[in-house]
Amino acid sequence: MEVASLSASLSSIFVAAEHGDAAADQALFGRLYAELHRLAQRELARRGAFATIGVTTLLHEAYLDMATSEGPKFPDRPRFMAYTARVMRGLIIDHARSRRASKRGGEFEITSIGTEVRENVPDARMLTAVGDALDELARADATLAEVVDLKFFCGFSFAEIAAMRGISERTVQRQWEKARIYLHHSLRADLPA
Amino acid sequence: MARLDPDRWRTISADLDRALDMDDAMRAAWLAGLRDRDPELASELQLLLDEHRAVVLERFLEAPPATPAGPPVAAGQAIGPYRLIEPIGEGGMGSVWLAERQDGRFDRRVAVKFLSVALAGRGEQRFRREGAILARLSHPHIAQLIDAGVSETHQPYLILEHVDGEHIDAYCDRRRLDIAARIALFLDVLAAVDHAHAMLIVHRDLKPSNVLVTGDGGVKLLDFGVAKLLEDEGRAGAMLTVEGGAALTPEYAAPEQLTAGPITTATDVYSLGVLLYVLLSGRHPSGAPRRSPAEMVKAVVDSDSRRLSDVVGADGEESAAHADRRGTAPDKLRRLARGDLDTILARALKKEPAQRYSSVTALAGDLRRYLRHEPIAARPDTLAYRAGKFVRRNRAPVALGVLALVASIGGVIGTLLQARTARIERDFALRQLARAETINDLNTFVLSDAAPAGQAFTVDDLLARAERVVGDEHGDPADHVELLLSVGRQYTVQEEYAKARRLLETAHTQSLALADPSTRARAACALAQTLGMSGDLPRAEALFHEGLGDLPQATQYSLDRAFCLERGSEIARNTGAAQDAIARAEAAQRALAASGFQSALLDVDTAVALAGAYRTAGRLEDASAAFERASNRLTTLGRGDTERAGTILNNWGVTLWQLGRPLESARVLARAIAISRDQRGEESVSPMVLINYARSLADMRRLDEAADYAERGAARAQQGGNQVALGQSFFVRATIDRFKGDFAGALRMLDAVEPELRRSLPEGHIAFATLADQRALVAQANGELAHALELENRAVGIAEASGRAGHEGGDYLRVYLAHRSEIQLALHRVDEAAADAARAIEMMASLGRPGSFASTRGFAYLALGRAREAQGRRREAIAAFRSAAGEFEHTLGAEHEETRAAKKLAALPD
Repeated sequence: MEVASLSASLSSIFVAAEHGDAAADQALFGRLYAELHRLAQRELARRGAFATIGVTTLLHEAYLDMATSEGPKFPDRPRFMAYTARVMRGLIIDHARSRRASKRGGEFEITSIGTEVRENVPDARMLTAVGDALDELARADATLAEVVDLKFFCGFSFAEIAAMRGISERTVQRQWEKARIYLHHSLRADLPA
Repeated sequence: MARLDPDRWRTISADLDRALDMDDAMRAAWLAGLRDRDPELASELQLLLDEHRAVVLERFLEAPPATPAGPPVAAGQAIGPYRLIEPIGEGGMGSVWLAERQDGRFDRRVAVKFLSVALAGRGEQRFRREGAILARLSHPHIAQLIDAGVSETHQPYLILEHVDGEHIDAYCDRRRLDIAARIALFLDVLAAVDHAHAMLIVHRDLKPSNVLVTGDGGVKLLDFGVAKLLEDEGRAGAMLTVEGGAALTPEYAAPEQLTAGPITTATDVYSLGVLLYVLLSGRHPSGAPRRSPAEMVKAVVDSDSRRLSDVVGADGEESAAHADRRGTAPDKLRRLARGDLDTILARALKKEPAQRYSSVTALAGDLRRYLRHEPIAARPDTLAYRAGKFVRRNRAPVALGVLALVASIGGVIGTLLQARTARIERDFALRQLARAETINDLNTFVLSDAAPAGQAFTVDDLLARAERVVGDEHGDPADHVELLLSVGRQYTVQEEYAKARRLLETAHTQSLALADPSTRARAACALAQTLGMSGDLPRAEALFHEGLGDLPQATQYSLDRAFCLERGSEIARNTGAAQDAIARAEAAQRALAASGFQSALLDVDTAVALAGAYRTAGRLEDASAAFERASNRLTTLGRGDTERAGTILNNWGVTLWQLGRPLESARVLARAIAISRDQRGEESVSPMVLINYARSLADMRRLDEAADYAERGAARAQQGGNQVALGQSFFVRATIDRFKGDFAGALRMLDAVEPELRRSLPEGHIAFATLADQRALVAQANGELAHALELENRAVGIAEASGRAGHEGGDYLRVYLAHRSEIQLALHRVDEAAADAARAIEMMASLGRPGSFASTRGFAYLALGRAREAQGRRREAIAAFRSAAGEFEHTLGAEHEETRAAKKLAALPD
């Protein structure tokens, strides 16, 4: 597919991907992935080890970066976020996998003394399962999957998501609850009985 | 387990939306209905809703995944004055580090807990503020929260006293402590919890891992109030989530935590009951160990706990092992548990919060009595029963009302005493303490003296007695003024304005000679309130300014400032100065926040003042939200069934009705009636509440019930000479008659109310617009269209004039316009009809928030749709009908005739 070639502008790939062009979709995913990764590294270097860099901030900066260099044809912020949130999901899951690989034994070591500690931190295995279930959910109801990408993986608030889509916060919240029901159900369905 | 089929998911998606939007009671009723019509769908939905409970409980997907920035913290880094040493834990809440002071001033080590929650803008403020409140909690058995802060990178953290200890259950087992020793240790836990409760702080997450025992055998409670701290802002009110949405440990959660009920101190009593049960038996009260969260939820909510003596005495190796760890054998353990321990635990573990021990102290009292072999206070179920009997025997204004009243003073005392521990000026603390103790003395004296066993006494008796006590010259003149104020204000609450005024005038006069500006201000403002209520508004306003102006700006007077501003708000409301009323109520709220006190009761006061002010200004959505907040706060305080709560519910219910949300309104008003009935019996429910309820029912087309309530309300209003309520009842009954098709009856009602209105109200009052509107609707229904239009024109005219003059009326105009549109249409004046409807909708657009619904707007859309249809603008008509259907469905329910009709017009599936 021509638009998917490396030289094509991001704007045109975006449009093609949004129209269901699978090759464009892949190319776009790759470009955005690389871009987000680069930004994350840059932030890390800039702010030092103690910085928790907000995913939301990262995405906004990515948008600014790309929209500036691409010019007026670049998609608007809501469209960009809706797509890029899925890329971010991939980045985060990959990150969790690599972190897990680097730790002997895989799971987090929990050395609780006194101060109480919870064990429900999403680990790599769980994130991967969520990712798979999300792909499945996207086929049943793409809007719901997108809410999970934006909220869970990217940390946008209900209000921000509502503003992005021009719907009420209440509706976003309901979509979030429904998506969680679906995912929870899927994850349990995958457990051995 | 079967996977969800995408097609099926899409089919039931809309029903799931609807179910998620309902509260528990509504949903249960709806599902029950659905089960008859479509059992398969109902069971699928039930499955998904169960899944939802598990989702909420587990906080599924709420902790964010680790981000590519990597682990955020490293050893050697500085957090405030502390330096991180090494990580000692990592989990869903975040990581925990051991740290020490950098400057070496103390050798104390602390734990720094980084929380992986995102706090946006205002969230940070709230986090710091609530953290500061928790930091004041200081008790030898509570791990001190030293500081709560947010790092430069916006990561919230807590600095806690570092406790090196062992979970209480493990400690007891390792030491093989016997039953008595376990109870003795548990009493230390209770002392700590009781201390926190006195400061209105609920733990919410008591369990063995939060109760440690240190090497020297001392108990330390961790994470007091932290569950609340982690609650998302803006979650309140969302029916989709469990209140207090913090991660719960289902084994130790109280039923109300799992069913979105209000969290109160009784919640901790329940968790403590579970903890004690586990300590004594080694097992969980619900039985089988290691269930899935969903099963555990069901067990906690639905099934009664098993009797302790049955559990410990069961056959089998496990029981033997548990008994052995308690230095005894199963049968001996069973004998120890049977009787009193069974009763104590059953009481603590009641599903219904109100049936549990009323406080941690009461539970501790019984455990102490058990250890001393004295008879315990709890009796299996009979006590509550007897108390109920007593109230039923003595319906009239009964002692219980007074107890509630005194309890509310007691609550304030509890709060004020905190001033000793708070970092607020010492003299302020002492003054408040003296004030509290003086009033406390009075209460004790009046109550103990006035309550010969079992004999009923009335509020009036008590106040008369208190007044006599106050009348005697008291030592300190400042104390004397305080006492006068206290009794005077109670008379105000009882609406005995003449008596209140007498006492408060004296208090005010005497206060002028005092040096303390605080007492002077309170005396002036208390008197101002009473004068405002009895109609002397100019002097009330002057006294308010006198009181407020007298107060110095310092923080130590913030509470007094809030006190005055709240009363000033009420006075402004009575003079119709809505903007002043709002400004003063908001200022009161700020003053309260600035005072540094956490008092839920005072919060309720300001919320009510604010709600009233918003209502006067026509800001109904804001008013409704403020009433809701006040109502929830009271419920959280365990005062959800007091007269005060009933009054708030009534006002909230009326506001909802004005907003065009009769469904919610009816629900809220039904609660108001239930409270009043339970407190003082059927006969003493206020006629106004009954009539308000009837009006909402009528809009729901539940006409027979509506007629019943309206008639009862009218009869009671007549008896009590309540003209306002009686007038309202005529209007409501006219509406009901009209809906029933009895137009002659409706006209009789309107004829009956008109003379009284003419006698008591000035011409141009909005009531005459309502009258004309009602007559117009009857005329329209009778087919007298020209007459109907004439009448509705009058209604619109009066409402417009009233709105222009800044009085009430604007709220009604949009409704009359919608009605006129229908009449115009019947007269084939199509363009006029469309214009009226469009204007009504435009006015309503400013009424609600995005996403809120109103049946009134539904009617306007319906009118617009019909007009557009008649104009031949079919597409616009359909759009309007769709909007109408949406508004109706949310406010009247899917089954309502208007909803069905609108859907039909919009060609939507029913």
